[in-house]
Amino acid sequence: MMKHTLFIVAKQRPEVLERLLRVTRHRGFSIINMQVHLNDEGLIEVNMQVQSARAVTLLSNQLDKLIDVTCCEVLNNANSAHCANE
Amino acid sequence: MEAGMKIRGADAVIKALAAHGVTTVFGYPGGAIMPIYDALYGSPVEHLLSRHEQGAAFAAVGYARASGKTGVCFATSGPGATNLITSLADALLDSVPVVAITGQVSTNVIGTDAFQEIDVLGMSLSCTKHSFMVTSVEDLVPTLYRAFEIAASGRPGPVLVDIPKDIQLAAVQYQTPLQTVEPEPVSDNSLVASAAQMIKAAKQPILYIGGGVGMAGAVPQLRHFIDVTGIPSVATLKGLGSVAHDTPGYLGMLGMHGAKAANFAVQESDLLIVAGARFDDRVTGRLASFADKAKVIHLDIDAAELGKLRQPDIAITTEFKQLLPQLSQQLAGQLQLAPWQKHVTQLHQQHQFNYQHVGELIYAPAMLRQLADKLPENNVVSCDVGQHQMWVAQHMWFRKPEDHLSSAGFGTMGFGLPAAIGAQVARPDATVVTVSGDGSFMMNVQELTTIKRKKLPVKILLLDNQKLGMVKQWQKLFFEERYSETDLSDNPDFVKMASAFDIPGRTIFHADEVAAGLDEMLNTTGPFMLHVAIDDAFNVWPLVPPGASNSEMMDKQEK
Repeated sequence: MMKHTLFIVAKQRPEVLERLLRVTRHRGFSIINMQVHLNDEGLIEVNMQVQSARAVTLLSNQLDKLIDVTCCEVLNNANSAHCANE
Repeated sequence: MEAGMKIRGADAVIKALAAHGVTTVFGYPGGAIMPIYDALYGSPVEHLLSRHEQGAAFAAVGYARASGKTGVCFATSGPGATNLITSLADALLDSVPVVAITGQVSTNVIGTDAFQEIDVLGMSLSCTKHSFMVTSVEDLVPTLYRAFEIAASGRPGPVLVDIPKDIQLAAVQYQTPLQTVEPEPVSDNSLVASAAQMIKAAKQPILYIGGGVGMAGAVPQLRHFIDVTGIPSVATLKGLGSVAHDTPGYLGMLGMHGAKAANFAVQESDLLIVAGARFDDRVTGRLASFADKAKVIHLDIDAAELGKLRQPDIAITTEFKQLLPQLSQQLAGQLQLAPWQKHVTQLHQQHQFNYQHVGELIYAPAMLRQLADKLPENNVVSCDVGQHQMWVAQHMWFRKPEDHLSSAGFGTMGFGLPAAIGAQVARPDATVVTVSGDGSFMMNVQELTTIKRKKLPVKILLLDNQKLGMVKQWQKLFFEERYSETDLSDNPDFVKMASAFDIPGRTIFHADEVAAGLDEMLNTTGPFMLHVAIDDAFNVWPLVPPGASNSEMMDKQEK
């Protein structure tokens, strides 16, 4: 089991968190920590720690594909969230 | 219209559809969508009444797949919307552009368990590309415009728009929204050059073509690429028709029921060029041993498919109309593939299907080959799911992908008849044939009424072995011949049933009746059912057993 941290920016829609959670579950990842914040521009910022035996790109690519998601990236020690600066 | 004049939301829906060139919608009315049906009454948008919402949505899918346009369907709230779900899932798995509009209970009672209320937006999340619930009438028209754009752009798919009844009745000033256009991915030139280099270095390359090339409208560009490179090719179920069937080096369908030559060539290849395909398990067999000597170049409009199941050496998120000419230009006359082409041709010749069948019984593969040869140029063949579907894919041939409508990814029994109806509406001059089985046909049999109502000349070729044939085949091979619930010998009299819908037909039993039967079906003006009694001993061959490599195909066992 590997742990990964994702940073996601998405349009604020009533069902947007359901979309993120559904894709995460269906693609084989479990969430171990999650923080959600509505920013000043009306976008939601999600910081999510997940674990799975699968490669994290299987999740990040599917999240990125969601119409309401404007940015999705996998954070590691070497980078900081560029989504936050978009 | 006078400036500032307001119309009902329902009228705005019809107006927005007309603005998108929609001439026909498929649907079924009910309480929460009544204002939209009222707006439809007398409007220039034609409506085709199905007899079940699943049929309406499959007709929209058939319309979209046969024409390349976006299909539209309507359903009411609650059970109307839930009945759409299977068809939307089918459209999602096969990347078909569909806009589904559902009525919803009024906003003030949403969440109170009102009559015919269910959380349609919630249910749509896993079976659509995207979905909306409109909560303000001002958002209605912009949402519909966005729905059409999302359905058809990038990798196409179904989009659902749920519209509460009070929004349909509210007054709104219709304004055409500013169109936003989804940017198409631009191929990275250095990646394209690397791909060309890798292709030049390959000695045994093969093209593995999926539905994505046809959906991108890039069939001419693909055929040009094959012409100038001479690279042998295979296709998935959805890719059939992308390459002309008599093209040198084209080996037909690969995978579980693929042609032997196609599977062998892929296994021997040193470079797999994947175009608009996704390493589906029915294609790859045991993934770890699929084309295990090959490098992989994966080309797709959907970045999420690249590396999902097989790690590519080069991956390009691409628009095929742009990329294929670039590759053709860089590779024309550059490849020396003569030994490989010769080998592939030998494989093809060694493993031809044999249509010589002794005996009086009707041999379905031979009959379907005959049907393909008899069809006029403008034709569409839809099919259902099961043994007949695989026989259609193996033994018929298609001029273009939009002539072959098969529920590929989702494998939905009941797809064929309503899809044929949609195809006939989209292409009124085409000869539309639905090839079905006695199991599948009963799943949306109510749509015969739609054929009757609109006098659609859909031809029905019903292969009847009084069994759920594909399940029975697996019971025979892998479940010790324990035939659990696959006997359908109590089927209705199909020809009599068709006649109740004013559809003439007849039954044939013997091989010597096939040619005349097919001619009668094709030459009859209007709809016709040719009911074909076949022996349940005939199975689909070859077959890659579950968990096996594609090089381990099982061969025909019956005589």
